[in-house]
Amino acid sequence: MFTEFLQHIVNGLIIGAVVALPALGLTLIFSVLGFVNFSIAAQMTVGGYAGWLVNSHLHWSLIPALAVAFAASGAIGIIGDRLALLPMRRKSTAHTSLMVAIVSIALNLALENAMRFGFGSDLNSYDLPVSRDLVLGEIHVGPQQINNLGVALLLAIVLAAFFSATRMGKAMRAVADNPDLARLKGIDPQRLSNLATFIGMGLAGIGGALLAVDTSVDPSTGSRLLLIVFAASVLGGLTSLPGAVLGALLIGILSDVSLTVISPVYQSATAFITILLVLLVRPNGLFAGNSGVRK
Amino acid sequence: MTHIDRRSFIGASAALALAALPRAVCAQGGGPIRIGILIPLTGATSQFGATMSQAAQIAVADINSAGGVRGRKVEVVIEDDQSNPEAAVRAARKLIDVDKVVAIGGSYASAVTSAIAPLCWESKTTLFTASGADSITKLPHQGYIFRTSPTVTLQGTRVGKFGVELGCKRMFFLGPQTPFAQNYIDIISVIFTQAGGSGSGLIYEDRKASYRSEVDQALRAKPDVIVLGGYVPDTSVVLKDLYRAGYAGKRIGLSFGVNQKLVEAIQPDVGEGTYSLVPSAEESSQAYKRLIAKMKLNALDTYSCQVYDHVCLAALALASAGGEATGTAVRDHVRGISQDRKAKVVDGVDEGLKLLAGGGHVNYDGPSGPLEFADNGDVQGVFFRYEQIQKGKLAVVRVA
Repeated sequence: MFTEFLQHIVNGLIIGAVVALPALGLTLIFSVLGFVNFSIAAQMTVGGYAGWLVNSHLHWSLIPALAVAFAASGAIGIIGDRLALLPMRRKSTAHTSLMVAIVSIALNLALENAMRFGFGSDLNSYDLPVSRDLVLGEIHVGPQQINNLGVALLLAIVLAAFFSATRMGKAMRAVADNPDLARLKGIDPQRLSNLATFIGMGLAGIGGALLAVDTSVDPSTGSRLLLIVFAASVLGGLTSLPGAVLGALLIGILSDVSLTVISPVYQSATAFITILLVLLVRPNGLFAGNSGVRK
Repeated sequence: MTHIDRRSFIGASAALALAALPRAVCAQGGGPIRIGILIPLTGATSQFGATMSQAAQIAVADINSAGGVRGRKVEVVIEDDQSNPEAAVRAARKLIDVDKVVAIGGSYASAVTSAIAPLCWESKTTLFTASGADSITKLPHQGYIFRTSPTVTLQGTRVGKFGVELGCKRMFFLGPQTPFAQNYIDIISVIFTQAGGSGSGLIYEDRKASYRSEVDQALRAKPDVIVLGGYVPDTSVVLKDLYRAGYAGKRIGLSFGVNQKLVEAIQPDVGEGTYSLVPSAEESSQAYKRLIAKMKLNALDTYSCQVYDHVCLAALALASAGGEATGTAVRDHVRGISQDRKAKVVDGVDEGLKLLAGGGHVNYDGPSGPLEFADNGDVQGVFFRYEQIQKGKLAVVRVA
C-alpha cells in the first residue's frame, strides 16, 4: 500500500514537471504584462512540432531540439502578440485585460488550426527510443521522465537567478510592480514585454517538446493541458515563479494520489476541487507574495 | 448606434424570407436531393475521415452518372464532426435545418452518433451510422437508424474468444470513457470467466498526457492480455507506458485504436506484437474491387466502404419509393432494396438505379457487405480481420 502511494507521488511529480514549464511561462507573462495569455497552449504545440521537425527530419538530439522549440515558440509568441494582442492592449478600458485574454483564446484557436492545416491531425513521435523504466526498490520511473523533471527544475532555477541577479530581470520586476514608475526610471516597457513574451512562450515550447517526447505531438497537444497549466499558475498565485512550479507539482501529485480512492475517470475533477478549496482559504493562491517576479 | 425602426426591420425580414424561398422550394421540389455526410475529418477519430469523404463523393458520382434518382441529381453535403459530440450536433443541425438533407451518413464515433440520433428521428431524417455502441439502436428511433458496423457486443465477443484462443487467462481492459467501455469490460470478462480465467478493467479519462498510474493499476492485476479500448491518441500513450513499465503479455486493440495511423505514430518496439480486431469490408466482392480501383488504393477500411454504402442505400431507397424524397421514404424503403430475397442481387448502385427505374426490384450488396438489417436497425453478417503489428507493419493473421 505504501509503495503504491509512493509510486503515485512519483508519477504525479513527473506529470507536474511537464506542466511546470508552461505554468512558469503563463505566470511570467501575467506578471509583466498583466493578462493571462491563453495562446500558451498553442505555443506548447508549436514547440512540440519545432522540436519534432529538427529531431525526426534533421536527426538533431534532444537538447538542441529543445533549444529550437524554445526559439520557435518564443518567436511565434512575439509575432502573435504583436499582431493580435498588442493592438488590443493599447485600447485602455476598464476591461482591457479581460478582452486581451479573450483575444488570446482566439489566437490560440487560430494557431492550433494553422498547425492542423500544415501538419494534419496525425500523431508524430520523436525519433528517440522509448526506454524501459528504472526500478528503484519497488518504485519504477522512466529515464526520460527524470530528464523532464531535471530540465524543468533547472530552468526554474535559471529564471530565479535571472530575476534576482541581472539588470534586465530586475527591470522586469520593476515593470511588474509599477509600470508607470518603471517608465519614469527610463525602463522601456515594450522591450521588456517582448522579452517576457519570448521567454514565457519559449518555456511553454520546451514544455510542449518534452511532453511530445514522452507521448507524441498533434495539433491539440497543448490545448489538452491548458486548463491544468492555468490551474497550476492560479494555485501558485499567478505572479510567483516558484509558486507556478510548486503549484504544478502539487496538482500533479494530488490528482495522481487521488487515484488511490477514486476512478480515473474523475481524476481531473479532483484536481479542480482541490484548487477550489485552496482558493477558498487563500484567495491569492498558495504562494502569492513569495519571492518571484512580483515580490 | 444605428437605429433600426420597426418598418425597415419588417422589410428586411421579408426580403430575407423571399431570398430563402427558392431554396426551401428546391428542397422539396425538383432540385438536387441532398444527403448529409457527417464524418470526423479532424480530432481523435479522424483516421478514416479523408477516405470516408472521398468514398461519399465517389458514391454520388456513381449515382449521378447513372442518371440520378428518377432524373434528380444527388448531392452530398460533407460536414466535419471534429470527433466531438458538441460540434457534431451543430453540424447535424445545419444539415437538417439549412441543407434539408433526407438522410445523414457517416457518423462514426459512438458518442457523436448518440448525440445526433435524437435530432435525426425528431426531424424524420434517416441516420446511417458506422458506430458500434449497442445503446444506439436501443434508442427510441422509430426505425430511422440503420447501423452498418458490427455492434460492441459482437466485437467484444470476438475479442474475448480471440484472447482465450491465444491461451490467455487473465484479461484486463484499458479504455477511455465512451458509451461502450463498460460493455466491453462486461462482455469480455464473461467470456474469460466461462473459459476458466478472469477479467477486469479500468476506464480512464482521455486527453491525458500520461497513463502511468492507470498502467500501474492494470499491471497489479497481473494480466496476461490487455485489451486496448481507446482511440489512436490515448492508445499510443498507453502502449508507450506499457512498454516503459516492462509489460510482456499480449495486447489486443480494436480497429479504431490500433491501425495504420497508430503504427506510424509510435516507435516500432512499442507496438510490436499488438493485435487488432478489424471489422472487414467484403473484400472479395466486385463492389469492393471497383471502389478501391476508383480511389486508386490497394485496400480500404470498412468504415469508408460503409460511408459509400450509406449514400447508395439512401439513393436506392428513394428511387424505389417513387415520388417523394423525404427521410421517411428512405426509412421505409431501405430494407426493400437491400434484403429482398426474391429480388435480383446487384453490387453496383448504377445497375440498381436502372432496374428500379424500369420498375424492377433489387437486393443491393455493397463494398462493405451484404447489408441486411435486423428489426432494430443493426446490420447482420459481418466479417472480421485479425491483424498484428509485425516489424512495424500491420499484417493480416486471419479473416473470419
